[in-house]
Amino acid sequence: MKKVVNIPLGSQHISLLEPIRFQFTTENEKIIEVGADVGFVHRGIEKACSETFEWKKVGYVVARVCGLCAITHSLSYTLAVERLLGYEANERIKYLRMLMVELDRIHSHMLCLAHVSENAGFEAMFMQIMADRELVMDIQEAISGNRVQFDYIAIGGVNRDVTPELVNMIHKNLDELRPKIDDLMERFSNNWSLSLKYKGVGVLTLDEAYIYNALGPLARASGLKTDVRAESSDFPYEDVGYEMIFESSGDIYARNMVRLREIINSITMCENIIDNLPTGEIIEKVKGKPEGEVVVRVEAPRGELFYLVKGSRKNFLDRVRIKTPTFSAIPAMMEVFKGSEYADAPAILASFDPCMSCTAK
Amino acid sequence: MSFFKRFRKKSPWILHYNAGSCNGCDIEILATLAPKYDLERFGVINTGNPKQSDIFLVTGPVTYRSRERLVKLYTQMPEPKVVIAVGSCTTTGGVFRGMYNVEDGIDQYIPVDVYVPGCASSPQLIIDGVVKALEILENKNQEIEKPFKLFGGIRQVGTKTSRRDMAKKVEPNRSDDDQS
Repeated sequence: MKKVVNIPLGSQHISLLEPIRFQFTTENEKIIEVGADVGFVHRGIEKACSETFEWKKVGYVVARVCGLCAITHSLSYTLAVERLLGYEANERIKYLRMLMVELDRIHSHMLCLAHVSENAGFEAMFMQIMADRELVMDIQEAISGNRVQFDYIAIGGVNRDVTPELVNMIHKNLDELRPKIDDLMERFSNNWSLSLKYKGVGVLTLDEAYIYNALGPLARASGLKTDVRAESSDFPYEDVGYEMIFESSGDIYARNMVRLREIINSITMCENIIDNLPTGEIIEKVKGKPEGEVVVRVEAPRGELFYLVKGSRKNFLDRVRIKTPTFSAIPAMMEVFKGSEYADAPAILASFDPCMSCTAK
Repeated sequence: MSFFKRFRKKSPWILHYNAGSCNGCDIEILATLAPKYDLERFGVINTGNPKQSDIFLVTGPVTYRSRERLVKLYTQMPEPKVVIAVGSCTTTGGVFRGMYNVEDGIDQYIPVDVYVPGCASSPQLIIDGVVKALEILENKNQEIEKPFKLFGGIRQVGTKTSRRDMAKKVEPNRSDDDQS
């Protein structure tokens, strides 16, 4: 006998970091319908960017859209404004910005993996990954002066330089981190509760990924080859050893593997960047006021981040439009939930690595 | 009651609620619970259940939609309880102050015992805040603490659920019948 039951998840729940509410309609433990409510943390940042704050300050305000990918937000805005002002950063600034973005990607992916293992009931693994993550946090603190909200990127350059002592410290920490990630890779592919249990759970097929506009690791786990790092030419990613990583099965296991392999790739890139830092100024004066309209895309840890900035030679911008990866990926997420068991819902949700403060802004 | 007091001091449980923060302070709270800073050495466990918690860690300026949940979680926690506001935006509104959907800090809604500044608050500061809160918790008694503002309930209008009454602020000293 079939019985339809409505089960709410959220808005405050132990397996959720942020307030989001799901309404699952289940039929004998199987989810047949999902409704999501993502607007709990809407603050109105887009409006404030064009009314309360001047254009020079907006870079530090949009960083507060999201604490996990703060650097990509301020980077996208700065790139947009620099393009409006007709300024092109020199190679050293580009490399330093790239370094911070990749470090941010490592720590964000590690947090996601920790969360996935916690939702699998693997508390010890959560603690271990969080402890390993501190190696990256230490590097970020040493470079920028803050652990999470590092206001590192300024219009016309970056706020702090990398000194030779820092280079040694970064090398030491990354060398320490690499075998730990290799170890994690083995755990995630051989441990029963992290690999076998997760194979075939929460599958997003390649066709669904196309139709529902999946982005970032979610799409690459399904075999959809999309990555802004490869598509745009804002940063010299090819020179520092970037390679696109994708899997084909599209389940939770594939998403974990994509994240782990991206961490390895990012570590390689960070090492190449600090070994081959070009010389030059770290901050240059930029004159003028933004005029015109521009679109910028940057690869955030969760996928493509899209910025539209429009100005008309005034202190206040006309419009700042932010489209974040989680917002674009919500239809794909809803599709994955349908047909899976209710007991898997927290694990599937964690494997998406959703960022609600990005989504609601 | 001093018997329970002894044990409460050694095992305060934490309830964490994100009232519209940018996730920065939330991941710092997670990092604080993790081995390097190890807040769990004070007997702290992060629970998702307000009815078992002693310490209420709130992050974020209160957004329009999260304030009613914030007050509900606070009222569900048993006394004695302490509230820690983690982060600049939680204490004053911070960078979000004056935005149209933001209520400028949680102390407009619930009494706050410890303010932890910083954007984002560093783990060391959060540990300091929790240790301070433990001292305050020790001196508190079973006296009922009330939020400054309460909200009305959900109303059925025809076939639809109306939340309009929820947004209306109700004075806390009115009788329970009025609050529905």
